[in-house]
Amino acid sequence: MAQQQTDYVTLVSSDGFEFKLQRSAATISGAIKRMLDPISNFTEAQTNTCTFENIKYDSLHPLSHHAAFMESSVDSPRSGVVLEKVCEYLYYNEKHKNNKDVPDMDIPPELCLELLMAADFLDGEFAVGYLGFGC
Amino acid sequence: MSNRRPGNTNRIRGPQSALTDFLAANNISAQQIRDDYNRRRQQAQQQAGADGENAQPAAAQEDEEEAADDVPAPPPTTTNTRKRKRKDVEDEAIAKVKKGKEADKKKQADKKKQKGKKKPKGSDDDSDDEYDDDLARDMYKKAPPAPGQLENCEVCSKRFTVTPYTKTGPEGGLVCTPCGKELAAEAGPSKPKAKKAAGRPRRRKEESNKMDNLAILGAKTLQQMCIEKVADHHQDVEEFGDLPQTVLERLGEIFTKKRIMDPRTMKLFLRPDHDSIAIHDCAKLETEDYHTIFAVSPHVEKVVLRNTCQFKDENMEYMIEKGTKITYLQLYAANLVSDAMWHKLFQQQGHKLETLKLQWLDASFEDEAVEEMVTNCPNLQRLKLKLCRRIGAAAIDSISRLKKLEHLSLCISQDVPCERLVNLIGNVGKNLRTLSLEHFPDANDTLLEAIHAECRNLTKFRLTENDYCTDAGFAALFTDWANPPLLFADFSSTRDIDNNNPEGPEQAVGLADQGLAALMQHSGAKLGHLDIASCRHISHAAFTSVFDGQKQYPALESINLSFCGNVDTVVVAGILKSCPALKKVIAFGCFNIEDVVVPRGVVLIGVPKARDFMIEQVGMEWVGLDAALGAMVEAVGAA
Repeated sequence: MAQQQTDYVTLVSSDGFEFKLQRSAATISGAIKRMLDPISNFTEAQTNTCTFENIKYDSLHPLSHHAAFMESSVDSPRSGVVLEKVCEYLYYNEKHKNNKDVPDMDIPPELCLELLMAADFLDGEFAVGYLGFGC
Repeated sequence: MSNRRPGNTNRIRGPQSALTDFLAANNISAQQIRDDYNRRRQQAQQQAGADGENAQPAAAQEDEEEAADDVPAPPPTTTNTRKRKRKDVEDEAIAKVKKGKEADKKKQADKKKQKGKKKPKGSDDDSDDEYDDDLARDMYKKAPPAPGQLENCEVCSKRFTVTPYTKTGPEGGLVCTPCGKELAAEAGPSKPKAKKAAGRPRRRKEESNKMDNLAILGAKTLQQMCIEKVADHHQDVEEFGDLPQTVLERLGEIFTKKRIMDPRTMKLFLRPDHDSIAIHDCAKLETEDYHTIFAVSPHVEKVVLRNTCQFKDENMEYMIEKGTKITYLQLYAANLVSDAMWHKLFQQQGHKLETLKLQWLDASFEDEAVEEMVTNCPNLQRLKLKLCRRIGAAAIDSISRLKKLEHLSLCISQDVPCERLVNLIGNVGKNLRTLSLEHFPDANDTLLEAIHAECRNLTKFRLTENDYCTDAGFAALFTDWANPPLLFADFSSTRDIDNNNPEGPEQAVGLADQGLAALMQHSGAKLGHLDIASCRHISHAAFTSVFDGQKQYPALESINLSFCGNVDTVVVAGILKSCPALKKVIAFGCFNIEDVVVPRGVVLIGVPKARDFMIEQVGMEWVGLDAALGAMVEAVGAA
């Protein structure tokens, strides 16, 4: 609570990579927004840091926010890569917020399933159609 | 000189270009220049290494090429028989060519002065010989031997025939076909090609996205992009892992859209723990694939299989046996299923079915099957029977006994007398939330009266392709209707059809002035989607009074005005002003709409002249609207 509402927030991947993003871009994601919401009083909101852990399915805590996140990368050190791409998207989205006919972002094919999973988790809810993450 | 080419003058010639004529008049022959050039080239090849004299033959070559552009090229002939000294011929040719060229230049410059037109290279008087020589050297460097000639490969030194497809080597020379292929393979896909492809197709893609309501403003969602990427690389996907079911369903839709839903990819979507399976296009699936679906996922409750061309009796039998939990069944074009099997389905699974949607059944599914369905499926809440060619009025009578029905969509090809429909509404109308009646040409105002009297819960109402119901009937339906406001209204193609009387009778047929006014009066507060395509008797005055900019329709998001001839720019402006939530206007065939300023967030489809404006032009946009409103007020005042 001491350092509320900084301009920048930190996203930390399970394998220790830290990404510092502008708050306005990061909160495009519904899940991150809720985590950082000062009213919610989560640790994330107080420290302005979101850590995305890998937690195995069998050791799931029912209340854990990060449960579903990228379980497929449990054994691979890729969550940093995925999170990097997520951050790239967040800025890409912010940059093109008011543009028409935006070119697609480049997504490496081998990453897209994990990224899809991450996107689904980060948005919190999946809206059918073109809504959903970031719109 | 004049006797150099005897016999030339007696030849019969075809049409010639002005340049050839000019050169001939100056006693210069392109043929001869070419011959000389070829001979020189061969000699130069024989004594390789004489680079110093490049410039001179180059100058000749340049002009030779100019000439060759205009003269039909005869096959190169060897002129080794000539015993002249090489140097002499060269000098002569160059002198002549330069002289001719200067004359040519003068002529062109004159022409330029006369016509004031831009001419291609050579028309610039300032350029002198030095420039020409530079240019010539340049051209000599680049100029490849004409197709059909022989050349030594730069890489492997083999002799080969030059074709238009011959590639250039790393040193600027030509390479033979095998070496060229190797070079191309090393270089990888060429970049310029990729650049070229980005032009028109991208614009087409944008239009397509617009039609699909995709990404009007801002970036696509990350999910959407990932899903498209996955679809692009569907061959490489081995499994989807634990993707949530909602994401999987969306993936399935995109796979269908891209026509990559085949037996292999279909299996990616099957999971034993899933309670639904939705394959929107089964055209590529084989009979055994349907077995796989129900073998892998026996717990499915919702089954959506569209275009099931290969869905046979045995599949239906297997489904009845395995899929004991099915409550939602949507089968389109299952024409290999026999009547007996439909009966069996209803007898064994009927009591569980809550939703049944069948379309495109031509070969079977008769009135008796509908009767069997009604008898055995008392819990049906949602029923859709469209384009089932063998059912008729008797089926309507059967359906009227479905007491729990809440959503009913019918499109029947056979004639159905209006009394049967009135009877249907009298029996099931009370609970109906959705009523969709497409193509019932015999329905008349008595049906509308019945709906007015019976229906109290309708939110979605469609009555299309009818030329019997009158405007007064529609007005009576919506006036003081005890039903809450509709959310979805579709009255497209309700109009009079008489080629001899395009204006229609005096008492308007179909949804027209009064009907539209009454509809918007009744449902305007909640209506989200309005389709009045081809309701061509709605007058301009009716449109402008309904969408006058003062009345507000806060929920209206999409409206289809296609082929309403009286719609013009003023009407569209009024709609924009009256519908703050508007997202999409479809107006095909409305030729009076011109230069509408489309505000941000709205898509106007079907008007070729309309332009989308960006957010930065908010001010402009409102000025445009106000001006349009002003014009509208004047128009109303004048009327």
